[in-house]
Amino acid sequence: MTDLSPITALGGAVPRSVSFGALSLSENTGLALASLSLRRGASQPVPMGLQLPGPGGWTAGNGVAAFWTGPGQWMLEGEGRAEESFARELKSRAPDCSVTEQTDGFVAIEIASAAGPEPIRALMRKLVNIDAAGFGPGCATRTGLEHMTVFVIRRAEDRLAIIGMRSLAGSLWHALAQAAARLEGEPA
Amino acid sequence: MLIPHPLLGLRDAQEFTYLGDAALLNRPDGMAEGAAEAFNDYVYLRDNPAGVHRELWFHEQGDRSWLIVTRNTVTHEILGAELARDVALAAKGGAQ
Repeated sequence: MTDLSPITALGGAVPRSVSFGALSLSENTGLALASLSLRRGASQPVPMGLQLPGPGGWTAGNGVAAFWTGPGQWMLEGEGRAEESFARELKSRAPDCSVTEQTDGFVAIEIASAAGPEPIRALMRKLVNIDAAGFGPGCATRTGLEHMTVFVIRRAEDRLAIIGMRSLAGSLWHALAQAAARLEGEPA
Repeated sequence: MLIPHPLLGLRDAQEFTYLGDAALLNRPDGMAEGAAEAFNDYVYLRDNPAGVHRELWFHEQGDRSWLIVTRNTVTHEILGAELARDVALAAKGGAQ
Protein backbone atom coordinates (compact mmCIF):
# COMPACT_ATOMS: atom_id res chain seq x y z
CA MET A 1 0.00 0.00 0.00
CA THR A 2 1.19 3.49 -0.84
CA ASP A 3 2.59 5.24 2.17
CA LEU A 4 0.70 8.54 2.33
CA SER A 5 1.32 11.20 4.93
CA PRO A 6 -1.42 13.72 5.63
CA ILE A 7 -0.57 17.41 5.41
CA THR A 8 -2.44 20.49 6.58
CA ALA A 9 -3.98 23.15 4.32
CA LEU A 10 -0.71 25.11 4.57
CA GLY A 11 1.28 22.04 3.57
CA GLY A 12 2.88 21.21 6.92
CA ALA A 13 2.88 18.03 8.91
CA VAL A 14 1.60 20.01 11.90
CA PRO A 15 -0.60 23.14 12.01
CA ARG A 16 1.34 26.35 11.47
CA SER A 17 1.40 29.07 14.10
CA VAL A 18 3.28 32.31 14.59
CA SER A 19 3.18 35.33 16.91
CA PHE A 20 3.87 38.99 16.34
CA GLY A 21 3.73 41.05 19.52
CA ALA A 22 0.31 40.64 21.11
CA LEU A 23 -1.15 38.83 18.10
CA SER A 24 -0.81 35.13 17.44
CA LEU A 25 -1.98 33.34 14.32
CA SER A 26 -2.66 29.64 14.19
CA GLU A 27 -3.95 27.31 11.55
CA ASN A 28 -7.02 25.47 12.86
CA THR A 29 -6.91 22.05 11.23
CA GLY A 30 -9.51 20.54 13.55
CA LEU A 31 -12.43 22.67 12.44
CA ALA A 32 -15.19 20.73 10.69
CA LEU A 33 -17.45 22.78 8.42
CA ALA A 34 -20.78 21.99 6.83
CA SER A 35 -23.16 24.34 5.08
CA LEU A 36 -26.87 24.20 5.75
CA SER A 37 -29.54 25.81 3.58
CA LEU A 38 -33.27 25.90 3.88
CA ARG A 39 -35.37 24.56 1.07
CA ARG A 40 -38.25 26.66 -0.25
CA GLY A 41 -40.95 27.25 2.31
CA ALA A 42 -39.08 25.27 5.00
CA SER A 43 -38.99 26.45 8.59
CA GLN A 44 -35.72 27.16 10.37
CA PRO A 45 -34.35 24.11 12.22
CA VAL A 46 -32.48 24.00 15.53
CA PRO A 47 -29.70 21.59 14.48
CA MET A 48 -27.73 19.92 17.30
CA GLY A 49 -29.63 22.11 19.76
CA LEU A 50 -28.10 25.29 18.35
CA GLN A 51 -30.25 28.35 17.72
CA LEU A 52 -29.14 29.59 14.28
CA PRO A 53 -28.03 33.24 14.19
CA GLY A 54 -29.64 36.05 12.19
CA PRO A 55 -27.94 38.09 9.43
CA GLY A 56 -24.32 38.93 10.23
CA GLY A 57 -24.32 36.75 13.33
CA TRP A 58 -22.31 33.90 14.89
CA THR A 59 -23.45 31.76 17.80
CA ALA A 60 -21.86 28.88 19.66
CA GLY A 61 -23.32 26.28 21.95
CA ASN A 62 -23.55 22.54 22.60
CA GLY A 63 -20.04 22.05 21.21
CA VAL A 64 -20.91 23.44 17.78
CA ALA A 65 -21.17 26.92 16.31
CA ALA A 66 -22.87 28.51 13.33
CA PHE A 67 -22.60 31.70 11.32
CA TRP A 68 -25.04 33.24 8.87
CA THR A 69 -23.83 33.19 5.25
CA GLY A 70 -26.90 34.37 3.35
CA PRO A 71 -30.70 34.43 3.52
CA GLY A 72 -31.70 30.94 4.67
CA GLN A 73 -28.07 29.75 4.70
CA TRP A 74 -25.61 29.01 7.48
CA MET A 75 -22.22 27.41 7.98
CA LEU A 76 -21.97 25.03 10.93
CA GLU A 77 -18.63 24.60 12.73
CA GLY A 78 -17.54 21.58 14.74
CA GLU A 79 -14.39 22.35 16.70
CA GLY A 80 -11.96 19.43 16.68
CA ARG A 81 -14.26 17.32 14.50
CA ALA A 82 -12.60 17.64 11.07
CA GLU A 83 -11.88 13.91 11.02
CA GLU A 84 -15.50 12.96 11.66
CA SER A 85 -18.48 12.78 9.31
CA PHE A 86 -19.72 16.11 10.58
CA ALA A 87 -21.95 16.85 7.57
CA ARG A 88 -23.60 13.45 7.81
CA GLU A 89 -24.42 14.00 11.46
CA LEU A 90 -25.80 17.46 10.70
CA LYS A 91 -27.96 16.05 7.91
CA SER A 92 -29.39 13.47 10.29
CA ARG A 93 -30.27 16.28 12.74
CA ALA A 94 -31.77 18.52 10.02
CA PRO A 95 -33.15 16.08 7.44
CA ASP A 96 -35.34 18.68 5.69
CA CYS A 97 -32.40 20.97 4.87
CA SER A 98 -29.70 20.82 2.20
CA VAL A 99 -26.38 20.01 3.89
CA THR A 100 -23.00 20.05 2.16
CA GLU A 101 -19.63 18.99 3.54
CA GLN A 102 -17.25 22.01 3.45
CA THR A 103 -14.34 21.04 5.72
CA ASP A 104 -11.84 20.28 2.98
CA GLY A 105 -12.74 23.35 0.91
CA PHE A 106 -11.56 25.87 3.47
CA VAL A 107 -8.69 26.85 5.72
CA ALA A 108 -9.38 28.37 9.12
CA ILE A 109 -6.91 30.73 10.74
CA GLU A 110 -7.51 31.70 14.35
CA ILE A 111 -6.13 35.00 15.56
CA ALA A 112 -5.78 35.66 19.28
CA SER A 113 -4.73 38.83 21.05
CA ALA A 114 -2.90 38.85 24.36
CA ALA A 115 -3.62 42.55 24.84
CA GLY A 116 -7.40 42.81 24.61
CA PRO A 117 -9.52 43.86 21.64
CA GLU A 118 -7.43 46.74 20.27
CA PRO A 119 -4.83 44.63 18.34
CA ILE A 120 -7.73 42.70 16.74
CA ARG A 121 -9.40 45.93 15.68
CA ALA A 122 -6.11 47.32 14.35
CA LEU A 123 -5.57 44.17 12.28
CA MET A 124 -9.11 44.35 10.91
CA ARG A 125 -8.64 47.98 9.93
CA LYS A 126 -5.58 46.96 7.91
CA LEU A 127 -7.20 43.99 6.20
CA VAL A 128 -10.94 44.30 5.61
CA ASN A 129 -13.36 47.05 4.70
CA ILE A 130 -15.64 46.32 7.65
CA ASP A 131 -16.33 48.71 10.52
CA ALA A 132 -14.01 47.14 13.13
CA ALA A 133 -15.53 49.05 16.06
CA GLY A 134 -19.02 47.77 15.24
CA PHE A 135 -17.83 44.21 14.63
CA GLY A 136 -18.12 42.86 18.15
CA PRO A 137 -18.18 39.31 19.54
CA GLY A 138 -20.90 37.30 17.81
CA CYS A 139 -20.48 39.07 14.48
CA ALA A 140 -19.57 37.17 11.32
CA THR A 141 -19.54 38.22 7.71
CA ARG A 142 -18.25 37.30 4.29
CA THR A 143 -16.08 39.93 2.67
CA GLY A 144 -13.01 40.53 0.52
CA LEU A 145 -9.45 40.39 1.87
CA GLU A 146 -6.68 41.15 -0.64
CA HIS A 147 -9.03 40.06 -3.47
CA MET A 148 -9.77 36.76 -1.72
CA THR A 149 -13.23 36.08 -0.38
CA VAL A 150 -13.19 35.14 3.29
CA PHE A 151 -15.47 34.65 6.25
CA VAL A 152 -14.54 36.84 9.19
CA ILE A 153 -15.81 35.77 12.62
CA ARG A 154 -15.36 37.67 15.86
CA ARG A 155 -15.42 34.80 18.33
CA ALA A 156 -14.62 36.99 21.35
CA GLU A 157 -13.26 40.43 22.15
CA ASP A 158 -9.72 39.09 21.80
CA ARG A 159 -10.35 36.40 19.17
CA LEU A 160 -10.92 36.60 15.43
CA ALA A 161 -11.21 33.77 12.93
CA ILE A 162 -10.62 34.06 9.20
CA ILE A 163 -11.93 31.22 7.04
CA GLY A 164 -10.77 31.33 3.44
CA MET A 165 -10.51 29.12 0.41
CA ARG A 166 -8.15 26.22 0.99
CA SER A 167 -6.48 26.56 -2.40
CA LEU A 168 -5.46 30.10 -1.39
CA ALA A 169 -4.32 29.13 2.12
CA GLY A 170 -0.71 30.22 1.50
CA SER A 171 -1.70 33.64 0.16
CA LEU A 172 -4.16 34.17 3.00
CA TRP A 173 -1.58 33.25 5.62
CA HIS A 174 0.93 35.59 3.98
CA ALA A 175 -1.58 38.46 4.00
CA LEU A 176 -2.48 37.96 7.68
CA ALA A 177 1.07 37.36 8.90
CA GLN A 178 2.44 40.33 7.00
CA ALA A 179 -0.25 42.66 8.37
CA ALA A 180 0.33 41.38 11.92
CA ALA A 181 4.10 41.78 11.54
CA ARG A 182 3.71 45.36 10.35
CA LEU A 183 1.38 46.19 13.24
CA GLU A 184 4.06 45.01 15.66
CA GLY A 185 6.38 47.67 14.30
CA GLU A 186 3.83 50.46 14.57
CA PRO A 187 3.49 52.65 17.66
CA ALA A 188 0.38 51.77 19.67
CA MET B 1 -19.26 54.35 -2.14
CA LEU B 2 -21.35 52.53 0.45
CA ILE B 3 -24.43 50.42 -0.30
CA PRO B 4 -27.02 50.23 2.52
CA HIS B 5 -27.63 46.48 2.46
CA PRO B 6 -31.10 45.78 3.90
CA LEU B 7 -29.78 42.88 6.02
CA LEU B 8 -26.14 43.74 6.69
CA GLY B 9 -26.05 47.54 6.87
CA LEU B 10 -23.56 49.76 5.08
CA ARG B 11 -21.19 47.76 2.88
CA ASP B 12 -18.38 48.79 0.58
CA ALA B 13 -19.47 48.97 -3.09
CA GLN B 14 -16.31 47.00 -4.02
CA GLU B 15 -17.99 43.87 -2.60
CA PHE B 16 -20.72 44.16 -5.24
CA THR B 17 -20.92 43.55 -8.95
CA TYR B 18 -23.26 45.59 -11.08
CA LEU B 19 -25.71 44.16 -13.59
CA GLY B 20 -27.89 47.04 -14.79
CA ASP B 21 -31.47 48.23 -15.01
CA ALA B 22 -33.80 46.57 -12.51
CA ALA B 23 -36.39 46.31 -15.30
CA LEU B 24 -34.55 43.04 -16.13
CA LEU B 25 -36.65 41.44 -13.38
CA ASN B 26 -39.72 41.84 -15.62
CA ARG B 27 -38.95 39.12 -18.12
CA PRO B 28 -41.59 38.95 -20.87
CA ASP B 29 -43.72 35.87 -21.45
CA GLY B 30 -42.05 33.89 -24.25
CA MET B 31 -45.32 32.24 -25.27
CA ALA B 32 -47.37 35.41 -25.57
CA GLU B 33 -48.38 37.24 -28.74
CA GLY B 34 -45.54 39.47 -29.98
CA ALA B 35 -42.93 37.70 -27.81
CA ALA B 36 -40.11 38.27 -30.32
CA GLU B 37 -40.67 42.02 -30.25
CA ALA B 38 -40.97 42.02 -26.44
CA PHE B 39 -37.73 40.03 -26.06
CA ASN B 40 -35.92 42.32 -28.49
CA ASP B 41 -36.83 45.24 -26.21
CA TYR B 42 -36.00 43.24 -23.07
CA VAL B 43 -32.57 42.14 -24.24
CA TYR B 44 -31.33 45.17 -26.19
CA LEU B 45 -33.19 48.34 -25.21
CA ARG B 46 -32.40 50.22 -22.02
CA ASP B 47 -33.44 53.57 -20.69
CA ASN B 48 -30.42 55.70 -19.90
CA PRO B 49 -31.75 58.23 -17.41
CA ALA B 50 -29.74 61.16 -16.08
CA GLY B 51 -31.03 61.04 -12.52
CA VAL B 52 -32.71 58.44 -10.34
CA HIS B 53 -32.18 54.89 -11.61
CA ARG B 54 -33.22 51.52 -10.14
CA GLU B 55 -30.54 48.93 -10.83
CA LEU B 56 -29.50 45.39 -9.93
CA TRP B 57 -26.42 44.83 -7.80
CA PHE B 58 -25.07 41.43 -6.70
CA HIS B 59 -23.38 41.14 -3.30
CA GLU B 60 -20.71 38.85 -4.68
CA GLN B 61 -18.15 39.19 -1.87
CA GLY B 62 -20.85 39.09 0.76
CA ASP B 63 -24.08 37.20 1.27
CA ARG B 64 -24.60 36.70 -2.50
CA SER B 65 -28.01 38.34 -2.53
CA TRP B 66 -29.31 40.42 -5.41
CA LEU B 67 -30.28 43.95 -4.48
CA ILE B 68 -32.21 46.66 -6.22
CA VAL B 69 -30.28 49.83 -5.52
CA THR B 70 -31.81 53.21 -6.26
CA ARG B 71 -29.02 55.51 -7.37
CA ASN B 72 -28.84 58.98 -8.81
CA THR B 73 -26.66 58.56 -11.91
CA VAL B 74 -25.77 62.27 -11.90
CA THR B 75 -24.57 62.61 -8.30
CA HIS B 76 -23.90 58.89 -7.49
CA GLU B 77 -26.06 59.38 -4.40
CA ILE B 78 -27.48 56.04 -3.20
CA LEU B 79 -31.11 56.59 -2.25
CA GLY B 80 -31.94 53.10 -1.00
CA ALA B 81 -31.54 49.37 -1.42
CA GLU B 82 -33.96 46.47 -1.15
CA LEU B 83 -33.71 42.73 -1.70
CA ALA B 84 -34.55 41.93 -5.34
CA ARG B 85 -36.24 38.76 -4.10
CA ASP B 86 -38.71 40.75 -2.00
CA VAL B 87 -39.47 43.06 -4.94
CA ALA B 88 -39.97 40.16 -7.36
CA LEU B 89 -42.20 38.27 -4.92
CA ALA B 90 -44.27 41.38 -4.21
CA ALA B 91 -44.73 41.87 -7.97
CA LYS B 92 -46.07 38.32 -8.16
CA GLY B 93 -48.52 39.06 -5.37
CA GLY B 94 -46.39 37.53 -2.62
CA ALA B 95 -46.69 33.97 -3.98
CA GLN B 96 -43.60 31.80 -3.42
